[in-house]
Amino acid sequence: MAKLLIVDDEPNVLNALRRMCLNRDALPAIPDPEVMTFTSPVQALAYLKDHPVDLIISDFRMPEMDGAVFLTEARKLQANSARIIISAYADIEGIMRAINDAGIFQFVSKPWSDQELKAAIVQVLGHRALLVENQQLANEVRRQRGIISEQQAELERLELESPGITRVRWGEDGSVLLED
Amino acid sequence: MSATETVAPLGGDKTADLAWIRALYEFGQTAAYGADPLRVRQDILTHIVQGFDAESGSIALIVHGTEDELEIAAGTDLPQGIVGSRLQRGVGVFGHVVATGQPILINGNAAEAGLPLRVSEPRNRPAHSAMCWPLVVQEQIIGALAVNRATSRQRYTVEDLDRGQALASLLALVIANHQMNVDRDNRIVELSTLNETLQRVNAMLEDAQGQLIQSEKLASIGQIAAGVAHEINNPVGFVTSNLGTLESYLQRIFGLLGAYIEADRAAPAPVTEALARARVLRDNHDFDFLRGDIVDLLRESREGLVRVKGIVQDLKDFSRTGGEEAWEMADLHAVLESTLNIVRSELKRKARIEINYGNLPRVECVPSRLSQVFLNLLVNAGQAVGAEGKVTLSTGVEGSQVWIRVEDTGSGISEENLGRIFDPFFTTKPVGEGTGLGLSVSYAIVLKHGGQIDVESEVGVGTKFTVRLPIRHAGAAAAQVSADLYKSAA
Repeated sequence: MAKLLIVDDEPNVLNALRRMCLNRDALPAIPDPEVMTFTSPVQALAYLKDHPVDLIISDFRMPEMDGAVFLTEARKLQANSARIIISAYADIEGIMRAINDAGIFQFVSKPWSDQELKAAIVQVLGHRALLVENQQLANEVRRQRGIISEQQAELERLELESPGITRVRWGEDGSVLLED
Repeated sequence: MSATETVAPLGGDKTADLAWIRALYEFGQTAAYGADPLRVRQDILTHIVQGFDAESGSIALIVHGTEDELEIAAGTDLPQGIVGSRLQRGVGVFGHVVATGQPILINGNAAEAGLPLRVSEPRNRPAHSAMCWPLVVQEQIIGALAVNRATSRQRYTVEDLDRGQALASLLALVIANHQMNVDRDNRIVELSTLNETLQRVNAMLEDAQGQLIQSEKLASIGQIAAGVAHEINNPVGFVTSNLGTLESYLQRIFGLLGAYIEADRAAPAPVTEALARARVLRDNHDFDFLRGDIVDLLRESREGLVRVKGIVQDLKDFSRTGGEEAWEMADLHAVLESTLNIVRSELKRKARIEINYGNLPRVECVPSRLSQVFLNLLVNAGQAVGAEGKVTLSTGVEGSQVWIRVEDTGSGISEENLGRIFDPFFTTKPVGEGTGLGLSVSYAIVLKHGGQIDVESEVGVGTKFTVRLPIRHAGAAAAQVSADLYKSAA
């Protein structure tokens, strides 16, 4: 299953992208896609706090924050997510932030071609899966060699599965804060 | 005093006097002498010498622009070299008369005459007799006139001096009048030269203003373009995507319908009521037509979107006309060749391409942008020529500039359109074939290179575009314009 989160301040763009991702007939097909869309980057960040996704696609120019800032924040929440910016506009400075800070995998220009964008998504998802698998295998090796404890390896596995799950947020009165 | 004692104009036959005076007056009016003031004065003087029955005479005039210097302006019977020589105010007879403004009569030796006295009494011994009058115009002394009689002749009298004063005034007017004529002629020449200069400067200003207006237009279009491009690309993006999705949905639906139709064909008679209703609907709604037309509909819509994308791309190019790209010393012939390679196949089908390269130095430019300019000009030329057309591409150097000319034997551009071809969105091509941005983008690019595009065209004969570029890129085009203006005004 591929979990995709898409952010664009224009609902029509979101609808078009959702249709495109879910349409299995137009090749290349995204394997088993599940699409969440947000017109607000702030709401998208709130969602990302406790919903792991595989790929985040974001517009660049948005009222609340630009795509580079949004994806930089998203990366902090979910380091293993793949990130794509799709935009009709970006200056060099913005693209640099998107690459250096947000660590995007692809930059796609608007108007996009469905076929090209889907191919990019499939490729990025594959790349991301490889990275995650690589990390898991590396941890497996480290655990076997005793470099990291079984507990630590398990924590990392859990963190991969559900980002944020291994971190406990404490309230001022010593209580444990749980989000919905 | 008897008539015999006086000289002709000073009291002789009245008709003769008048004729003499009239002749004197006419000298002042004679424009034919304009080019040679010396000759005019000489003629006037000769006339006066005759009129006063004198042997010789001379005129001294205050040198223009000075107060104290006199110049012998004319003379009869004077030794060579005297005319044109200078005198000081207050020195000598002329100097004295000019300084005092009073006429004098000299009989005998001037020194003996006791200047500045009026010498009225004739001396006993025969001596030469002379009169000298100041020339006054509007209370301004402009010089002096003197006439002399030989020693053997009758001497002038005080009465002669008084009568002569009136003539001197007339002469002063004649000289001043003549001087004014000369001045006027000079002014006319000056004015017409000035006028020519003004016309030239004016033409250059109009040219510069035209360029400014054009670049102003381009600049504002560029600004709008950058913003609009973004706004348009968003909807174009999702409409394109939706059309793609719609097409794929329709394929599924048609697939499904196809299956139903197959099932319908295979249905055994008699058919059910529902199936009969479906058949009626299918026939009434011309289902086969719909199925075919939907394909066209989607294809045409997609073509429209491709066009919109093209326009937006042109607009984006428009806001980037060479300002931020790398400048290099490029071989323009190589740029032209690579551009020709792109259009050659299309051009060849229609026109003969003739190449006439001069010797070009390397030119400081942004080659990719200039290539865009050449591409536009060549494509336009190709579109303008008919079946048996010719497109000539020539280059050359002119001072610190190079020129590249694209000439076609095509349909030409009408005069009313010629002034608008560089305007953004102006096109005479059929809808959909041209955005009207090609030439204005080219114009903007050439302007950024500090050059200019000139166009000459004759309907039915052909069009000639000449791009001029400075070999070294030295700032804005405006600098060149102001330098030209300075040159022509100097």
